[in-house]
Amino acid sequence: MKKDYWNKPEMGLWERLYIFEVVRGLCITGGVFFGNMWKWLTFRKGALTAYYPEEIRSDYSPNNRGRHVLTRRENGEVQCVSCNMCATVCPAYAIEILSTANFDDHFHPKAPERFEIDYSRCIFCGFCVEACPEDAIRMVKEVPDFPTYDRNNLWATQDLLMNWRPTCNPAKIYPAAQKALEEVHP
Amino acid sequence: MIELKIDNRTVEANEGETVLQAALRHGIEIPHFCYHPCLSIAGNCRICLVKVTGRPKLMPSCNLAVTPGMEIETDSDDVIAARQAVMQFITLNHPGECGICDKAGECRLQDYHVRYGEPESISLEPKNKKPKFYDISPRILLDSERCILCSRCVRFTKEVSGSHQLGIVERGNHSRLERLESQPMDDPYSDNIIGLCPVGALLSRDFLYQSRVWYLEPIRSVCTGCSRCCSVKVWRRNRHWHLRSLGEEMNRKVYRVTPQENREINGPWICNKGFDLHKFMGRKRLLQPMIGGSVATVDEALSEAKKLLAAAKSPAALVSAHASNEELAAFKETLGSRMTVYSREDYKAEEGEVVEDNILIRENKNPNSHGVHAMFGDLPWSVDSGHDLVLVWGDNVDYTPMGNAKVIHLASFEMPQERHADVLIPISTTFERSGSFTNFEGKVNRFTKVFDKPGLVQQAGDVFGRLGA
Ligand code: SF4
Ligand code: SF4
Ligand code: SF4
Ligand code: SF4
Ligand code: SF4
Ligand code: FES
Repeated sequence: MKKDYWNKPEMGLWERLYIFEVVRGLCITGGVFFGNMWKWLTFRKGALTAYYPEEIRSDYSPNNRGRHVLTRRENGEVQCVSCNMCATVCPAYAIEILSTANFDDHFHPKAPERFEIDYSRCIFCGFCVEACPEDAIRMVKEVPDFPTYDRNNLWATQDLLMNWRPTCNPAKIYPAAQKALEEVHP
Repeated sequence: MIELKIDNRTVEANEGETVLQAALRHGIEIPHFCYHPCLSIAGNCRICLVKVTGRPKLMPSCNLAVTPGMEIETDSDDVIAARQAVMQFITLNHPGECGICDKAGECRLQDYHVRYGEPESISLEPKNKKPKFYDISPRILLDSERCILCSRCVRFTKEVSGSHQLGIVERGNHSRLERLESQPMDDPYSDNIIGLCPVGALLSRDFLYQSRVWYLEPIRSVCTGCSRCCSVKVWRRNRHWHLRSLGEEMNRKVYRVTPQENREINGPWICNKGFDLHKFMGRKRLLQPMIGGSVATVDEALSEAKKLLAAAKSPAALVSAHASNEELAAFKETLGSRMTVYSREDYKAEEGEVVEDNILIRENKNPNSHGVHAMFGDLPWSVDSGHDLVLVWGDNVDYTPMGNAKVIHLASFEMPQERHADVLIPISTTFERSGSFTNFEGKVNRFTKVFDKPGLVQQAGDVFGRLGA
C-alpha cells in the first residue's frame, strides 16, 4: 500500500508538465550564481556565499560556541588545575590531559603538561565550559580555521588553546589570589 | 549467637562482635572512617554514631559490643543530625580540593559528604593552614590539611608493620600526623597506608597526578616478588578512556599496583615490592627472536631450536620459578620426558632488600618454586654434569657456566651476556598471560592477563607445544 504523507504535493498541470518547472528552477540558481560571480568579479562584498575558511562570517550569534580558549592566571600561566572534570564530562571523549606537579607553586600544585582537544570529535556542546570549577576553559563565538587535510591536525594543543585569541582577551585578574600570595611570601 | 535489632531488622551477631561489624556483615551501611577490620578500634572519628534504644546518648557503633536484645537505629533523625554535625567538624579545616586530590573518586570523605554532609560549611573561621606535600618517606607525601586524624596509618605502623614510625603530635586544632624519627620513614610495608588512609592525605609519589582513578580499572593478578604470591590489583586504563593524542603507550601502562584482599594468603596488605611490581615488569623487554645473535622470525627460531633439540645427545632444561603451573604442565607433557630437568631460582634477594620477616616477605624471591619442585623435584643445576644442550627458561641467567653447550633461551627481559644464545625466544611476562602460581604454603593463587603480549613475543606453553610436536 502506498503511504500517504502529510505534505503530499499538490501539483497543477504546469507542474505536471515537469520540464518548464525544471527550467524555472535552473533560472533561480543560475541567477544567484551569476549575481554572486558578478559581485566577486567586481570585488564587491555581499555575495551570498561565504568564502569559508578565508572569510569569517559576520553573523555569529553572541552565544555561539566556537573554539575553546584556556584562560590564564595573572602571571601568564594556565589557569587550569588539571582536574579532568571537562574531560570526564565530555560526551565525545574529545579532551585529553596530562598532568604535572609543581610544589613550589602553593596555589597551583597541579597543572596540565599537555591539554589537547580533538576537534574531529568535539560536538561543541559546551559541557566542558560548564563543568570547569576554575573558569579555566571558555568557548569564544568565532570559529577558526578548522579545515585541514589530516585529521591529526584537528588536535588543538595547549599552546594553541592558550594563545588563540581572535577578538577577546581571556586573561583575567585574580586580586584575591595576588593578596593571598603576598601574605604567604611577603 | 546474639540476636539484636538494627533498623527493625533482626540480625544475628557473633559473641564479641561490635554493632558496626554485625551491621556491615549483614549489608547495613553505617559510615566509618577510623574503623578498619584489621586494626584495633580507636573510636575517634565519631561518624559511626547510632541510637541505642534506652540509652540517652548516641553511641559510636564501632566501639559498642553487641548485647542480646539490643535495639539500634542507624537512620533516625537525631542520628542523621549528629552525622551532619560530625561531618561539619571533620571538614572544619579540610581544604576541599577534590579537583587536585588523587583520592577523589575513591575517597570516603567525599562519598560521605555527598551522602551525609550538608552542602556548605557553617564555620565562619578561616581554615587552618598545615604543611602540604611533605615527604614522610621517599615514596609517600603527606598533605596534613587533608588528614582527618583518624589514626589508621599510625595504628598500621604500630600493629601491623611494627615500625612505629608515625604519630600524631600537637593538640586540638593543630594536631597533625608526623614521622617520629629524624630519618625518612623506612618501612617495607609503608605503601599500605596510602590505600588505608580514608582521605587523600597520604599520596603515592609514584602515582601522583598520573591519572584520575575513574579512568582506571583493576585487574586481579599475583605479585611475583617472593614465594608468598600475594594477590594484587593491577590498574590499567579503562578501554572506555583510552587515549589517542597523548600516546598509545599510555594505554598499555600499569598506573599503580594495590593490594587485593585475600584472606588465605596475604590478608589486606602487600609489601612495597608488590607496590613496585609494575616497575619490575617495566624493565627493558626482549621483543625479537634471535638465532646466534642475529634477528630471525618466530618460525625460523622455533625450527632452529627443534633442530638443536633433535641433534642433542644429552639435553638439559633449567625451569623457571616464574613459570605458571599451566606452563609447567605443558612443558612436562611435551619436552619434560626427553631431558634432564633442573629447577632454577630466577632471582635472589637483592642488596638492601628485606630477606624474610614474619609478616609477609619470604626468603625465596620467586613466585612458583613450590610448583616447580612439586612437578620436577629440586635438583639444582651444576656446571659439570656434561650436557651438550641447555634449554634455559627464565630471566636473570648468565650463560658462562653453560660452557660449550648449546643454549636455547626463553626469556622476557633483556640482560647483557658474554655470548649470544644459539636460539633466543622472547616470552610473555605475568601481566601478559593468565595462569596460577603455588605459593610456599602450597596455596594456589590465580592471575589474569592485563595486556595483550607484543607481536613477536610468545607464550612459553605454545613454544613447548611446537617444539615437542
Ligand atoms: S564542547 Fe562538548 S564535545 Fe567539545 S570538548 Fe567540550 S564537552 Fe567535549
Ligand atoms: S579546564 Fe577546567 S575542568 Fe578542565 S581540567 Fe582544567 S580546571 Fe579542570
Ligand atoms: S581527601 Fe577526599 S574530600 Fe578531601 S580533597 Fe581529597 S578527595 Fe576531596
Ligand atoms: S593520614 Fe590518613 S590514615 Fe593517617 S591519620 Fe590522617 S587521615 Fe588517618
Ligand atoms: S610479600 Fe612477596 S609476594 Fe607479597 S607483595 Fe611482597 S614481594 Fe610480593
Ligand atoms: S568508625 Fe566509629 S568512631 Fe570512627
